[in-house]
Amino acid sequence: MNKLQCLLCFLLVGLSCSVFAAKLAYSLEPQKIADDTWLLQGKLEDFSRENGGNIVNTAFIVTAEGVVVFDTGPSKRYGEAMLQAIGSVTDKPVIHVFNSHHHPDHFLGNQAFSDTKIWALPETGKLIAQQGNAFAENMYRLVGDWMRSTEVQLPTDPLDIVAMSLMEVGNHRFRFYKMMGHSGADLLMLDETTGVLFASDIVFFQRALTTPHTPSLSVWVANLEQLKNLQYTTLVPGHGPVDTTGLAIEQMVDYLHWLDKTLMGAASRGLSMNEVMALPIDARFSDISLTRSEFVRSVFHLYGRYEEASF
Amino acid sequence: MHFINVIMCRITLLLCFFIASPALYASDDPLQSPMWDYLRHVFLGDTPYQFDDRIIVLVPPFAEDPTQVPVTVDATGLSEKIEKIVVWADLNPIQHIYTYYPLKDVKPNVSLRIKVQQATPIRAAVLTRNGHWLIGSTYLDAAGGGCTTPSVANASPYWESHLGEISAKKFQRKTFGRYKFKVVHPMDTGLVGAIPEFYLQQLELRDAQGDALVKMDLSQPVSENPVFSFDVTQPSAQHRLWLRDNNGNEFEQPL
Repeated sequence: MNKLQCLLCFLLVGLSCSVFAAKLAYSLEPQKIADDTWLLQGKLEDFSRENGGNIVNTAFIVTAEGVVVFDTGPSKRYGEAMLQAIGSVTDKPVIHVFNSHHHPDHFLGNQAFSDTKIWALPETGKLIAQQGNAFAENMYRLVGDWMRSTEVQLPTDPLDIVAMSLMEVGNHRFRFYKMMGHSGADLLMLDETTGVLFASDIVFFQRALTTPHTPSLSVWVANLEQLKNLQYTTLVPGHGPVDTTGLAIEQMVDYLHWLDKTLMGAASRGLSMNEVMALPIDARFSDISLTRSEFVRSVFHLYGRYEEASF
Repeated sequence: MHFINVIMCRITLLLCFFIASPALYASDDPLQSPMWDYLRHVFLGDTPYQFDDRIIVLVPPFAEDPTQVPVTVDATGLSEKIEKIVVWADLNPIQHIYTYYPLKDVKPNVSLRIKVQQATPIRAAVLTRNGHWLIGSTYLDAAGGGCTTPSVANASPYWESHLGEISAKKFQRKTFGRYKFKVVHPMDTGLVGAIPEFYLQQLELRDAQGDALVKMDLSQPVSENPVFSFDVTQPSAQHRLWLRDNNGNEFEQPL
């Protein structure tokens, strides 16, 4: 009897562990930022097993014809949660999905929208086909079980913005812009009906920008100067809070100039990469999250070019 | 009953001994690397050694690009005269990275970039002139894949017409001079299918008379198109760089 009780006890303890294991759920709460326009704002963090990769802003617009989705998040689970969040606001079906660029947190939720048109720049489609699987593998390593069953689902429709720079959906008119500064192929979408600019990762706000595929910092700055001339009222950055003041673009330009100057100065003094990574970061950027770790990453991505130019 | 108790007691004692034994024989490696004892034997032999914080091994917090990880070894904090410094990565498929011999007029501070296959301890073992091994270590975090990724050169014929080209620059630092130079070379590890190993093996920084200030033996983990930096105490002197790869190609250039 004693042994039986012991066994029972062990079984119960074992069972309770599996029952009470934390359930992985993104609690996505749509935040209304303009007429018909909802934002799912990600955390100002790096990928982790706690946040499941929910560090990205995704958005959807409920038009008279159906729902338009801008970016699908980091995992299948996120895509499904996004679909649920959309369902909590409207009964209309999702009819257009856009992937802003080929980084994993922006397209790995595509599986949840497999029966919808998924638009992306032609270059983005190619880049996802080339690098998507490697990105997905890395995401499994970084965030773990949140990624379960996530696979690369390619965009279905290449968006040729020369032939089609404007799209009317329901009562909304969307204008598209192609830029290169962040990833080599960045899609931006301006809803001319509401004045909301979906700036993708051309703009980060209060979260340090990332540079793994930037063609050059000067190209990026030129893109931002171009954005200043667009007519919009609300800017949705790829990461960070919504901006209506123009501060986000100013912060970006300021940081990119500082980064360029710092790397150039370091190269002209002959610093090694490790010495550059330890350089102080200007105090005016101290409120931006992840500045140090993204600075270190940027040195990895970019310092070789500056070093080369200094020879 | 008493007999059983005695047996039980002995078994328990024996178990205790087995459980405690790893602690008794645990290595003194501050990074608790499974490879420490083996690699210590390979690189240092059975000679005595000690870990020494004055040897600084600098790496980034994470190997963002596993084919170009910057490693700085700074032994300028040592007062002892240095015979050589052996640098390796415990968990790389090819562990040895380089051996550095500071012969004259240099500060023992070397930076270059390496390939890593996974997260690994990086070691710098300094042999002093009086025969002591002093070890500096650090841990490098990485996702991996650096040693088995084909070199960029493999996808482009650029290197064929530029092999061994050296770009160099001298920088005036506070009290010394720093040479930084880049050599065009694929540095193939031999670990990628159908791409044989092809890498720079020897390097010498020489003065006008041809005497070496620094000698280095290099191994496959040194990154493609390597960028080296050395600090010299007589920056106004004329120097030349000489290298040889494992195919016997020699490259030489005044700096």
